[in-house]
Amino acid sequence: MQPSLREDYLEAIQLFSEKNTRFPLTDELAAALSKPVPVVNSDMAELVSGGDVFVSPEGVIALTVRGKQTGTCVMKKHETLQCFLSEILGMDKSSASDEACTLEHTVSDETIDRLGKLIVTHDHNRHHGKGKHKQPDERACKVETDEFCQSRSISEFSEGDEVIIQCIHGRACAQRLLDLGLVPGERTTIKRKLSNGALVVQVKGCDVAVSPEIASAIGVERLP
Amino acid sequence: MKIALLGNPGVGKSLIFNQLTGLGVEVNRYPGSSVALESGNVCYKQEKTEIVDLPGIYSLDGNSEEETLVRTFLTSGGADVIVAVLDATKLERNLYLFVQAAEFSPKMIAVINMIDEADRQGLRIDANSLSSHLGVPVILAAASEGRNIDRILPVALGEATPARVRVPYDHHIEAALKSLEKTIGTPMHTNLLALQGTGDDPVLLDAAGAIAQEIAMRHRMSVGQIIATNRHNLAREITAAVVKRTAQKKPYDLDSLLTRSFPGIPILCSILFLLLLSVFMIGSWMEEIIVTVFTTSVITPFTALALPPLWNQIGFSLLIALQAGLGIAFPFIFTFYIGLSLLEDTGYMTRAAFLADRAMHRIGLHGEAIIPMVIGFGCTVPAVMSLRLLKTRREQTIAAVLVTMIPCSARTVVIAGIVAAFVGILWAFSIYLIVFVLLILTAIVLSRITPGEQFGMIVEMSTLRRPQARLVLAKSWLRIKEFLFIAMPVLIVTSILLGLFQYLGLTELFEQLVAPVTVTLLGLPVYASTALLFGVFRKELAFETLAVLAGTANLGSVMTSVQLYTFAIVSVLFVPCVSTIAVLYRQLGARIAIITSIYTVFLGLFIGAIISILMK
Repeated sequence: MQPSLREDYLEAIQLFSEKNTRFPLTDELAAALSKPVPVVNSDMAELVSGGDVFVSPEGVIALTVRGKQTGTCVMKKHETLQCFLSEILGMDKSSASDEACTLEHTVSDETIDRLGKLIVTHDHNRHHGKGKHKQPDERACKVETDEFCQSRSISEFSEGDEVIIQCIHGRACAQRLLDLGLVPGERTTIKRKLSNGALVVQVKGCDVAVSPEIASAIGVERLP
Repeated sequence: MKIALLGNPGVGKSLIFNQLTGLGVEVNRYPGSSVALESGNVCYKQEKTEIVDLPGIYSLDGNSEEETLVRTFLTSGGADVIVAVLDATKLERNLYLFVQAAEFSPKMIAVINMIDEADRQGLRIDANSLSSHLGVPVILAAASEGRNIDRILPVALGEATPARVRVPYDHHIEAALKSLEKTIGTPMHTNLLALQGTGDDPVLLDAAGAIAQEIAMRHRMSVGQIIATNRHNLAREITAAVVKRTAQKKPYDLDSLLTRSFPGIPILCSILFLLLLSVFMIGSWMEEIIVTVFTTSVITPFTALALPPLWNQIGFSLLIALQAGLGIAFPFIFTFYIGLSLLEDTGYMTRAAFLADRAMHRIGLHGEAIIPMVIGFGCTVPAVMSLRLLKTRREQTIAAVLVTMIPCSARTVVIAGIVAAFVGILWAFSIYLIVFVLLILTAIVLSRITPGEQFGMIVEMSTLRRPQARLVLAKSWLRIKEFLFIAMPVLIVTSILLGLFQYLGLTELFEQLVAPVTVTLLGLPVYASTALLFGVFRKELAFETLAVLAGTANLGSVMTSVQLYTFAIVSVLFVPCVSTIAVLYRQLGARIAIITSIYTVFLGLFIGAIISILMK
């Protein structure tokens, strides 16, 4: 499979999951990319063997930690490029988006990093002095660069396994996990795993129950 | 003097609070929040001391209502002394909150509770060493035995000092804190929050946001994670220095039964079923006694007074409202609260939430939503109040609509009194079935259309322990007081309005007005509309009023089975009662209250019409 095709798929799945707060079915993904379902099915098989996604028996396509990372990364690149093309160069929105679709696969991380900084400063200057304060999170083009975790998600391990936490993805749920002691470097034991992926983990002598989607945000390594 | 108890959920704060204050506890609401604050007064050395029980929290960084409240409490100097209560068996995790609170530099003492449990687990805590690490007096206590609880007040009033312990943060964070303090002049705890994006000073947030991004880039980790890790590391060091472990034989772990799908889920179902069954049995038995006693000793003498008609009507409505309140509150809701407090205090509730997570997921909710759902079978009002447990607006909205549809104990009375008695017991169950199908359909639709983010479940499993009768009763008593405080005024006002409505002869006018709906659409007798109207005020009143208006208690002789069935299903689905609407409004705002009411009216009428057409 072409690297750009793989990135397009992962990006589309990530985009779908952020929009709908769930992962897409095969036909939903096919519709989003306007591709025929059989093509998508065979491509998915390739992505599964590449370790980017897993497909549940009901046909839901979920990203692995690795797939999610690539998907998010490509999505961020797309956003940054589109933002740069439309807001700073003044191109119209839809052609900026088309252009970004091609550029996102070849652009280097450093370029994106510098573009991101440029946009933030530009944005800042534009809003400066208007007396209207904007919190950093509400900026039109948000560039995040702190997702570097390569580890597997804790949901890939089974009951009784001992693991070390490497990172916590996502911001919404992170704070409570951190407060309960699920911080990078912490040893935990999986005390219980239900068939749907809900976990009870033991951390700092306390048992903490987490639902499947929270578990998938916890990146861990097996205890050596 | 004012003393506040601070600690994680489930460290035994409430028990200590109860033992310190005894009876005479007040529940206050903090301005602008729905979180209850319990406070009580004690006299120590001829001086009045107020004790406040702050809500249990894990951290001071979050944005939940509880965390924000405690944070404001600390920054505004809400108390002279903070008594930090820590669980001896989970000292490391509990110290995390302690070191955060210490940053606000209030006068503090530390109470290490559950030392008896720690002994049993082979944990030995060196109080002197802990005290020198933290820089505050430390009391080792066991609230369940009352051990050393009497030392808390003297030490808190005499020896409390600001804690000396300070978290050594990562050097980038320390540098950021220094520069923020120098340039903007804000204290350390405000700067730490600002680095994590919380605060209300735009200049500070801007500056802190820029620095935080820099630090996050360099560490490849968010500032929140760095700060939390630093704090946990300090907590770990202190714990390692003061706690000695001796190996103990592990006791049998009940969780191997309770948290597995099997036999966990059958156990969960039978516990819930038993709870509802016993509430219903004990409730109906007590209700009968209360209603009879009230009628013979208050209502009959009152009607015998033969006051002028207007006053008679108003007085009568008032008494009926009191009777309704007492007749529902004590038998059903109080019994239910006792069961609920038992489930909470034994620690079972968190297991239930874990097991229910999967089923709740299907309807756009999470495990924790099982608590309001269960409460809903008892009474909708406290169920709506407990929606605060859910973290996002989206989940609260979905759960609010579902909770108002769950057949509460009053609606069970209607189903039992009308359908089970006159149509058949299987038909009565079919109503439950219809309601549950509608519930699930509504849930599926709502989980698709309600905007907002999904938030997964993160729950600490509370330790399984034997509940304390005194604490269970005290908790249930506080809750029933809160219920009466909300429901009683609404009941009384509505009852008097309806009484006046009747007195002015508007009932007939109303019946004529809605006759097209009741008679043509639902195929019910004309007077059924008044009965349904009364049902809005208290659900089982629909049944009682119907009997009065029909002129006979043997409803089967005046209405057909189809009519009875339609009437029951309409009154079960139709508008939540006024107390529910009031509490929905208070908890979630006017919009949700109105939408829920309108939705249920249409649902009730729609299903009623379908049934009357199908069965005709």
